[in-house]
Amino acid sequence: MSSYEKVPVTILTGFLGSGKTTLLNRILTEEHGKRIAVIENEFGEVGIDQGLVINADEEVFEMSNGCICCTVRGDLIRVLGNLMKRRDKFDYVLVETTGLADPGPVAQTFFMDDEIKDEFSLDGIVTLVDAAHIDQQLGRSDESSEQVAFADVLVVNKSDLVSDESLDQLESRLREMNRMAKILRTERGNVPVDTVLNLSAFDLDQALEKRPTFLEPEYPFEWTGVYWLSAGRYELSLQEGPDPNMSLVVLANQSTEEESLHEGAEWCVRQFAESPQPLRPTEVVPLNKHVDLQLETEGQKSFFLEIEQPMFVGLFAQHTAEEFDIKLFAKTGESLPLSAERTWVAQHEHDDEVTSIAIERDGDVDIQQLNDWLNQLLAEKGVDIFRLKGFISIADDPRRFVFQGVHMLIDSQPERLWGEMPRKNQLVFIGRNLDEEAITAGFDRCLVH
Amino acid sequence: MPGSLTQKPQGVLRDGWTADVQDYALVCDWAAGGGVLLVGDASSTLSCLDGKSGGLLWKQGDVHGGGLLTLAVHPNGKILASSGQDGEVVFWSVADGDKLRTIKVSKSWVEHLSWSPEGSSLAVACSRTALALDPHGSEKWRSEDHPSTVSAIAWSGEKELATACYGSVNFYEIEKKTVSQKLEWQGSLVSMALSPDGEIVACGSQDNSVHFWRRSTSEDAMMSGYSAKPSSLSFDHSGVLLATGGGERVTVWSFDGDGPEGTVPGELELHSESITCLSFAPRGMRLASGSKDGSLAIWSLNRDGHGGATGAVLTFESISALKWRPDGRAIAATSSQGSVTSWRIAR
Repeated sequence: MSSYEKVPVTILTGFLGSGKTTLLNRILTEEHGKRIAVIENEFGEVGIDQGLVINADEEVFEMSNGCICCTVRGDLIRVLGNLMKRRDKFDYVLVETTGLADPGPVAQTFFMDDEIKDEFSLDGIVTLVDAAHIDQQLGRSDESSEQVAFADVLVVNKSDLVSDESLDQLESRLREMNRMAKILRTERGNVPVDTVLNLSAFDLDQALEKRPTFLEPEYPFEWTGVYWLSAGRYELSLQEGPDPNMSLVVLANQSTEEESLHEGAEWCVRQFAESPQPLRPTEVVPLNKHVDLQLETEGQKSFFLEIEQPMFVGLFAQHTAEEFDIKLFAKTGESLPLSAERTWVAQHEHDDEVTSIAIERDGDVDIQQLNDWLNQLLAEKGVDIFRLKGFISIADDPRRFVFQGVHMLIDSQPERLWGEMPRKNQLVFIGRNLDEEAITAGFDRCLVH
Repeated sequence: MPGSLTQKPQGVLRDGWTADVQDYALVCDWAAGGGVLLVGDASSTLSCLDGKSGGLLWKQGDVHGGGLLTLAVHPNGKILASSGQDGEVVFWSVADGDKLRTIKVSKSWVEHLSWSPEGSSLAVACSRTALALDPHGSEKWRSEDHPSTVSAIAWSGEKELATACYGSVNFYEIEKKTVSQKLEWQGSLVSMALSPDGEIVACGSQDNSVHFWRRSTSEDAMMSGYSAKPSSLSFDHSGVLLATGGGERVTVWSFDGDGPEGTVPGELELHSESITCLSFAPRGMRLASGSKDGSLAIWSLNRDGHGGATGAVLTFESISALKWRPDGRAIAATSSQGSVTSWRIAR
């Protein structure tokens, strides 16, 4: 395929009432210079006199081998097959699915059918989420979690109907399920068209640029505060907070630069793995030790730090300073200023079955081992792995490879030369009940040492 | 035997004429005993070309709102039926292009049309239903909804119609309005061909296999190993050979003797890209194949399905449809760029 570009396709999913039709109408009326062919679901109601709106029946075809990864949308194959012959009439395709649709077969159609694969490329999956109702829907149906899991962009619609706090909570729940997606908040489907079309969603660079914490590891602590302390005794005060206890490491000689904070964090991760020493209020917090502050009593609680020589100390706390209004006071009663502060991507409790795993490793992989591992992994777990995306650095190849997959189907393409970029591997798996340790260990075995 | 593909036709293929239509030519059919060739294209235009010179006799534009999908010429060669995304079937006079009748059959795409061998019925497939119209356009019969869109239709006799969809092939007695047979198989059937005696049903499946049944015993078999879905199938007039195209090769199964089970099919290799159309000549074991790479080949085959190319030509546009002239002395091919060519065929 070289003589012409493939036609990009966006899949628009979302539960009934999430505002798909509003967004669709908006996309079609906005001046963006694209001629869009729309394939609507059978209940579609685009109210627009637009040349290329086609209704499709959502016929999901399973193959005789019974494998869910081979299910495709038969109606799409026919409709797109026909559109191929009229390529000069449009330059973009939008496929709208019903709220109850599993996005798998739609996405798989673009991998499974050779004729479709030759002419069209899946640009991205956009899932609309109704901010007011998605929490219930996520609990009730597999389809809604799958729609979240498959998304490249999650549009949280009707955000004006819920509080900022619940939006934050919702966003963090969605992020937990799908770490790869871009999340947009909107009212009445009012998002700029270029945030949902022409995503080149598989361009992870873009995702990394926008959200530097994207592939950052999760830490057992959420907050670090660095203070300059001269020798003496200090009071660490906590107000009532969300939990009856809090894990903490007070690290001596923690300086304030980003690099040093990361080093400190890595060291503290190991401390947090040790079982903590429980501390009651008024007790002294030892330096460089994992402690568990007991906070059951009502009102303000105080612990103490004893410093023998002047230095910076870092408080690595399980919760953020705001949650407990954490403060450090000198003997004089003066509240000490923070010299540096940082929040971390905290490990969340995994109450959703659908989660993402991110792997980031420097160096190169052995392509044979990677293929063997992925083939085996997908043969065993392909049903539960909804999506897979990433960049791979293959030993002895000057090019960066882009991997993307839907269930068991994987496509890898050389993308560009590494050149000056540091060679590294970044992979994201999104799926149900994924074994993070096993997957990470499996990948590590493919690295060339 | 042609050694390599060239722009100059080789072997039994001889220069004929070339014409152009408005857009991607979707479908063509000979009419008036080979006197004219009718072509439907993606701009929703019907063109009637002179069979001897390719000259334009008449043209009708915008024949179906949303786009024309297919056409079929009545066996008498005088009536043309076309259908499109507007859910309509239109009858035209082949002689002058006059619109004879418009029949709104559905609100969805009408994707397949087929006249019964003697022309007493036109079978129409639209979405999940199939129906039959008489030559005046009156509806004679309509099927119940199929479980999915009807993907292919074919007549097994003057009064019996076969439909293929996801999961089954169904036979309907049009006059009695009954279901005469149902052959089931879990898979998406994308193409269908019936042997001339109606005994063998062959279907190409989305999972890159060909499935076939013998109607008298309901025995079935599956031929797998195709590199792509077999979207074109053709039986020769005697019903011995079934040509199938999935991928770059043409695979020919022979139903001679106990075959094709356990036999080695003929594998015809010449095309460098996927086969787009296959058609046996009206008589004899001569097969024509067209490909996405723009090549067209004529093959002479034995009863065992094996054989070789006896004619070939390379055009530079993906071949979209092929039709033998009823006398078998010429073949018309249409292309994705809107060119229409008729080659003469030497004996």
